[in-house]
Amino acid sequence: MAQLDNIIHQPVRLQIMSSLVSLDRNEQVNFTYLRKLLKVTDGNLGAHLTKLEEAGYIKSKKTFVARKPRTFIKATGKGRDAFNEHIAALKEITHSGKK
Amino acid sequence: MNISQEDARKSLSTVQDVIVQTHRAIASAYANPLLILWGVLCIIAFTAAHFYLAHAFYIFMVMNVVGGIGTAVICWVFHSKAPIQDSSYPRIGWRIALLWILLYVYVNIWLFLLAPFSGLQCNAVICTAAMFAYIVIGLWFDSPFMIVLGLAVTVATLVGFYLLTPYYCLWMALTCGGATLGTGLYIRLRWR
Repeated sequence: MAQLDNIIHQPVRLQIMSSLVSLDRNEQVNFTYLRKLLKVTDGNLGAHLTKLEEAGYIKSKKTFVARKPRTFIKATGKGRDAFNEHIAALKEITHSGKK
Repeated sequence: MNISQEDARKSLSTVQDVIVQTHRAIASAYANPLLILWGVLCIIAFTAAHFYLAHAFYIFMVMNVVGGIGTAVICWVFHSKAPIQDSSYPRIGWRIALLWILLYVYVNIWLFLLAPFSGLQCNAVICTAAMFAYIVIGLWFDSPFMIVLGLAVTVATLVGFYLLTPYYCLWMALTCGGATLGTGLYIRLRWR
């Protein structure tokens, strides 16, 4: 039986992981895009990303694109597994009642 | 950790929404300027072809050259602005570009092999093939709008081909060009 993940379950982190896991394993998303998508502040997003990174669910990389600093974020294999298990647990709940 | 069925359902719905938005963001980074470019070019080329039918071949050749250069410039400019970067494989935007190139080559090979065709027939085949790509992209990005648009312009092309033959080019400027431009503007306004 799949288990819910406390770290991923928080709404903003769930959305972050949804966006990252929907990409290919080699693709990474721009910090600015994530901030616009989730309609959160830099600080708020940064805090949630730190939590996910500490759990080993994401990796962030700072780089320069056209001489401008950019931060890109991607889901790790561990993060993808945790997200998929969390989704499986949510589906089980919707099918079988309370958990 | 206890959550209700309703909360679980809401979470799953949120996940689905974010996935769709992410895929659309990838597509819109390239798609909307490209669709606007090609929509404008189609309107100009089809309208010009109606009034200067004898030069239609050269008109569409110029359209393809301008469109090809414009496409390359847009891809290059928007590369640094794209929300998604790929560390080793071509991104989805590039795959869409590849889809269009392959479709263009595929259609032209068959037109060459099955020649002779009239200019009108060639044009109708190319337009319906382009709309086929719309439908594929619509299925790919879970966008009913693109699917409906692809089907509608396909029907419009057939209507123009069979029923409005003398005004085919003007009709196509309105339907094919107008629809392409409209899609680009729609994506720009709604998918951001």
